[in-house]
Amino acid sequence: MRPLTEQETQTLFAKLANYTGASLKNLIAPLDDSPNADRYVFRLVRDRVYYVRLSIANLASNVARENLLALGTCLGKFSKTGKFRLHITALPILAQHARYKVWVKSNGEMPFLYGGNIVKAHVGRWSEDCPEHQGVVVYSMNDTPLGFGVTARSTAEARRLDPTGIVCFRQADCGEYLRDEDTLFAG
Amino acid sequence: MAPTRTVKNKHAANGSGIKNSKAARGPQSDGIVKPKKPGTKPTPTSVKQLTKKKKKKVYTEKELGIPQLNMITPVGVEKPKGKKKGKVFVDDPASMSTILAIVQAEKEGQIESKMIKARQLEEIREARRIEAEKKEEERKNKLEETKEGLRKKRKRPRTGDDTDAIVKEASVTGSKAKKPKKRVAFAE
Repeated sequence: MRPLTEQETQTLFAKLANYTGASLKNLIAPLDDSPNADRYVFRLVRDRVYYVRLSIANLASNVARENLLALGTCLGKFSKTGKFRLHITALPILAQHARYKVWVKSNGEMPFLYGGNIVKAHVGRWSEDCPEHQGVVVYSMNDTPLGFGVTARSTAEARRLDPTGIVCFRQADCGEYLRDEDTLFAG
Repeated sequence: MAPTRTVKNKHAANGSGIKNSKAARGPQSDGIVKPKKPGTKPTPTSVKQLTKKKKKKVYTEKELGIPQLNMITPVGVEKPKGKKKGKVFVDDPASMSTILAIVQAEKEGQIESKMIKARQLEEIREARRIEAEKKEEERKNKLEETKEGLRKKRKRPRTGDDTDAIVKEASVTGSKAKKPKKRVAFAE
């Protein structure tokens, strides 16, 4: 377990900033105003990045490397080429600070949760002025975050699209908790 | 011819004549300058000579920083001098928030440029659509005009004057209109 290097931090933030707005800085802000206040930090265990309280991370340093399975919230993993891949476990953090959102109707929830892209017919609401290829967080109509994806068209273009046209490419969905159960938390 | 040297006082050649004096102790010279022997070292006298003869510092290969093998070292293998070995971690909130601010500004710029581009494209598309609509309208109008013109043309022969003229013509020409039948008469 170790903190991230400058390059790694930059890659991670660049990925997170795809989905989130200016409020992302609250992610690393101290929890209170006291001088030795606890704060959240990022820790790398093997190739996975965890978002964890500093106090817990310090405690975890007592655990031997091979015995430490996970700590805090797993945000994703670094690939061998140095890119960062967000996991579905990062959804609560992304949903808190999301910049662009898509709400899918109830008839589109299941197709999305089974790993499908979002078609126009299933979209209930859109964030206005969303550009093309921009990260969006997908919600159900009752504001439950379901996953996240990347827009295929800008909002203006999507209006002209036919109902079967894809408007959002899936990146991760809550169905992965079941589908990728074996690899999501270890290995 | 060798130049001759006159010696005024034969005994005066040995200095002042005082025993143990500096001049008396030195080697006796008979006035002829002999070439110096190659083995003998001249004693350094002036500052200039001193600096000239100073031994040059010999640098070892290590001091010069010359690579051990005369070849290009791969980027990963090369270790910068006087730098910390290993990774440099970023864990203090100040530097983290600096990186975050830089990344966010970059992303913001990207999104902004994307939006501007999309807006421009939308404008162009709109302009094109309007132009196409205009052209379509023009074409339709032209078609309508031609249709109307053709309709009028067709109607003209049926108009009052025209029909009258035809009738008149017909009535005037009437039976005359037909050419007189050729008759063949046989001689009786």
